[in-house]
Amino acid sequence: MSAAPSRRAAEQARLVAEQAAARRRERRILVAVVVAFVVLLVGGGIGFQAWRTNRAPTAAPTALPVASAPATITDARPIVWGSAEAPVTLSLYEDFHCPHCAEFEEQFAGVLTRAQQSGQIRVELYPMAFIDQGSAAAANGMACAAEAGFGPSYFAGLFANHTLQWSDDQLIELARVSGAEATPAFTTCVTSRAHADWVESINVAAEQRGVTGTPTLFLDGKAVDVAGLTPTGLETMIAEAAQK
Amino acid sequence: MTSVDPHNPPPAASRDTGMAAVAPWISTAARLILGGVLLVAGALKVVDPQASVAAVRAYELLPTGLETVVGWGLPFVEVALGLLLLTGLGTRPAAAAAGLLMLVFIAGVASAAARGLSIDCGCFGGGGKVAPDQTAYGQEIVRDVGLLLLAGWLVARPQSRLSLEPAR
Repeated sequence: MSAAPSRRAAEQARLVAEQAAARRRERRILVAVVVAFVVLLVGGGIGFQAWRTNRAPTAAPTALPVASAPATITDARPIVWGSAEAPVTLSLYEDFHCPHCAEFEEQFAGVLTRAQQSGQIRVELYPMAFIDQGSAAAANGMACAAEAGFGPSYFAGLFANHTLQWSDDQLIELARVSGAEATPAFTTCVTSRAHADWVESINVAAEQRGVTGTPTLFLDGKAVDVAGLTPTGLETMIAEAAQK
Repeated sequence: MTSVDPHNPPPAASRDTGMAAVAPWISTAARLILGGVLLVAGALKVVDPQASVAAVRAYELLPTGLETVVGWGLPFVEVALGLLLLTGLGTRPAAAAAGLLMLVFIAGVASAAARGLSIDCGCFGGGGKVAPDQTAYGQEIVRDVGLLLLAGWLVARPQSRLSLEPAR
C-alpha cells in the first residue's frame, strides 16, 4: 500500500530532473549559438574590412579633367592648382587617410573646383602624412601624379577611395582608373617613394604654420573655421575675399 | 495584500514585491539603452575601416599590427554585443563584456588625457587628432561611466521583460 505514493514521488522526481536537464540543454545550445554568432560576426567583419582595404580602387564619381599642367615638386612647397593670377589663395592641409578630410572633400570639392575653374582661387595643396604609412604612400603618389600632369583627378580618386590602405599596387592602379596612364616613370616614382623627403618637408612646414589637425584651410593666409561650414558659406567667403 | 492603508505604509516585504515587479523593466531599459548605443557606435565605425584604425592609432597605445585588428574588429564586437543586448539573448555575459569594454574605453580616454594627447575618442566614428581646445575627455568619460553603470545593473539583474532569453 505504501509503495504507490513512493513510486509516484520517484516518478515526479524523475520528471523534474528531466525538465532541468532539458533546460540545461537548451541553455547550452543558446550559449553555443550566441558564441558562434559573436565569433562569426567579428571574424567575418575583420575579413570583410581586410577585403575592403585591399581591393582595387574605383573611379571617382565626379570626373575632373585629367590633364593639368605638370607640377614641380619643391621641398616644403605645396602642389599648386589654378591660375597664377587668381585673386585668392586657398591653402589646404589634408591627410589622405583622415576621415574628416574625406567628408570635407565630398562636401566641398565641387565648390573648390568651380572657384578654381572660374579663376577666383588658386589652391595650394599640402598633403600631410601623420595618420599612417598609407597616408605617406598616398601623399608621395599624389606628388608623382601632380608631376606627371594628372594631379586633380588623382586627388579626387584618393579621397573617393579613402578606405583603401594604399599599397603601391593600389596607387598605381588609381592612375589608370583616374583616366591617366601609369607610365614606367610614375610607377617607379610610387614604388621608390621618390618624394618621401618632400612629404616629410610638408609635414614640417605644416607644423611650423601651427596646423594641428586636418582638414585645415587658410583663405589668403587667414584660418577658416571648418566646423559648421557649409558649401554656400565657403562660396560666399571666397567671393568676398576675391572682391577685396 | 490587496488593500493597503495609505496611512499605514506597507511592510518591507511588500515593497520588495514592488521592486521585483519594476526591476525587470529597469533591466529592459538598460538593455535597450546600452545595446542601442553599442549598435550605433559599432555601425558608424564599420562604415570606414581606415578611419577606425586611425582612431585606434591616435591613442598611441597598441603596436601597429594590433591597431589594425582592433580597428577592424572592435566595431563588430560592439555590433554583436549591441544586437545581443537589444534582443536580450545572453544578457549577463553580453553586459559583462560591454562593461569590460567601457572600462577599457574609460582607461583609454583617461590615458590620452593624462598624456596630453589632443584626440577625438572616435567612439562614434571619426576620431584622430583634433585641436587642443576641441577635446571632450570629460564628457566622453562621464558617458562611458553611465554606460558602465547600466552594464553593472544588467550583470546583477539580467532578467528583463521583452527579452528573447528563455526563463531560467
